[in-house]
Amino acid sequence: MTLLLAAVATHGLRTVLITLVPAHRLPALLRRGLPHLAPAALAGLVATALVTTSAPSGPAVPGITYAALAVAALVAWRSRHPALPVLAAVAVTVVAEVLS
Amino acid sequence: MSITERHTARRGEVATAVRDLAPVALGLAPFALLIGVTGARSAAGAGSAVLSSVLLLGGSAQLTALTLLAGGAATGAVVATVAVVNARFLLYAAALEPHFRDQPAWFRWLAPHFVVDPTYAMVAGRTDLDDPARFRRYWLTAGGGLAAAWIAMTALGAVLAPVLPASAALTVAAPAMFLAMLVPHLRARAGRLAAVVAAVVAVAAAGLPDGLGLLAAIAAGVVTATVADGLTPTSTATSTATSTATSTATSTATSTATSTATSTATTDRSAS
Repeated sequence: MTLLLAAVATHGLRTVLITLVPAHRLPALLRRGLPHLAPAALAGLVATALVTTSAPSGPAVPGITYAALAVAALVAWRSRHPALPVLAAVAVTVVAEVLS
Repeated sequence: MSITERHTARRGEVATAVRDLAPVALGLAPFALLIGVTGARSAAGAGSAVLSSVLLLGGSAQLTALTLLAGGAATGAVVATVAVVNARFLLYAAALEPHFRDQPAWFRWLAPHFVVDPTYAMVAGRTDLDDPARFRRYWLTAGGGLAAAWIAMTALGAVLAPVLPASAALTVAAPAMFLAMLVPHLRARAGRLAAVVAAVVAVAAAGLPDGLGLLAAIAAGVVTATVADGLTPTSTATSTATSTATSTATSTATSTATSTATSTATTDRSAS
C-alpha cells in the first residue's frame, strides 16, 4: 500500500506539467531554462554519486570509484559511445577489487 | 506516403529506439541488480524490490523507499521522501511536454510513467522526434523496453542476492552511464556552465536530506546557464535562430518533408 501511494505521488509529478498544466503555459523565463536541464541534471547525478561513495558509510571504496569514473569520463570523451564508458568503469572496478 | 513506406518508417523508429536503449539498459543493469539485492537482503523483501521497479521506475527513489520500509518508517514519511527524491521528474516532464502536446489522451496520461533520467536524456539527445506519431513509437519502445529490462534485472538481483558478492561494480555503473550521457552536452558553452555549477552545488549541498541537494544542484545549474545565456549577445542570436529553426522543423515535419526538418534542426544544433 505504501509503495502504491508513492507511485501515485510519482506519477503526479510526471504528469502534472504534461497533462494538467502543460509546460507551454509556463512563463517564458522558465521555458528558456529547460534546454539547460539535461547537463545540469546529469552532472548533479554524477556528483551526488561521487559524494555518496566517499561518505564514511558509502557503499564502495572511494579511490576505486574515482579511478573507474575517471576512466569512464576519458572513454566517453574519446568514443562518444554510451556503453563503452560503463563497461570501462565496471572493468576497472572489478580489476582493482581483484588486485587489492 | 505508401503503406510500405509507412511500415518502413515505423520499423525505423522502433529500431532507432532499440539502438539507443541497448547501451542504456546495459549501463543500468548493475543498478537494477543492486536494488534487487538490497531489497532481498533487507527487511523490505525481494517482492517489495520488484514491486517498486514496476510502480516507481526510478532507482534512487526505490533505494530510498526500500531503506525506509526496512527501517519501519511510516507511510506518510515514505511517500513524502519519494516525492522529494523524484521532484526532478517535474522538470523533465516540463522539458518533454512539447512532444506530448499533440498526443492522444491515453498517451498523455499513461506514457509519462516512463519519464526518468535515461529516457529524458535519450530524447534530449535527438532532433528527429517532432512528429507526434514518430515520438509516440520511439517513446513507447524506449520507455517500455527500459521498464521491462529494469524490472527483469531487479528480479534477477533479488534471486541472485544470496550468491552475489559485495562489489563496487554494482554502484559504479549508473554514474558512469550518466557521465556518458553528459559528455555530448559539454560541447556547448551553456551546457558546460550548467554542468559545472550543478556538480559544485551537488557536492556542497550533499548534506541535505532526501535528494534535496540534487534538486538544488539542478536548479542552480539551470538558472546560471539561463542567466549567462541571456547576457551573451551571440547566444541570444543563437537562441532566436534555434526557436525559428525549431518551429520551421516542426511545421516541416508535420508536412511530408521530414528529412528537411531534421537537417535544419541538426544544422542549428551544431551551430549552437
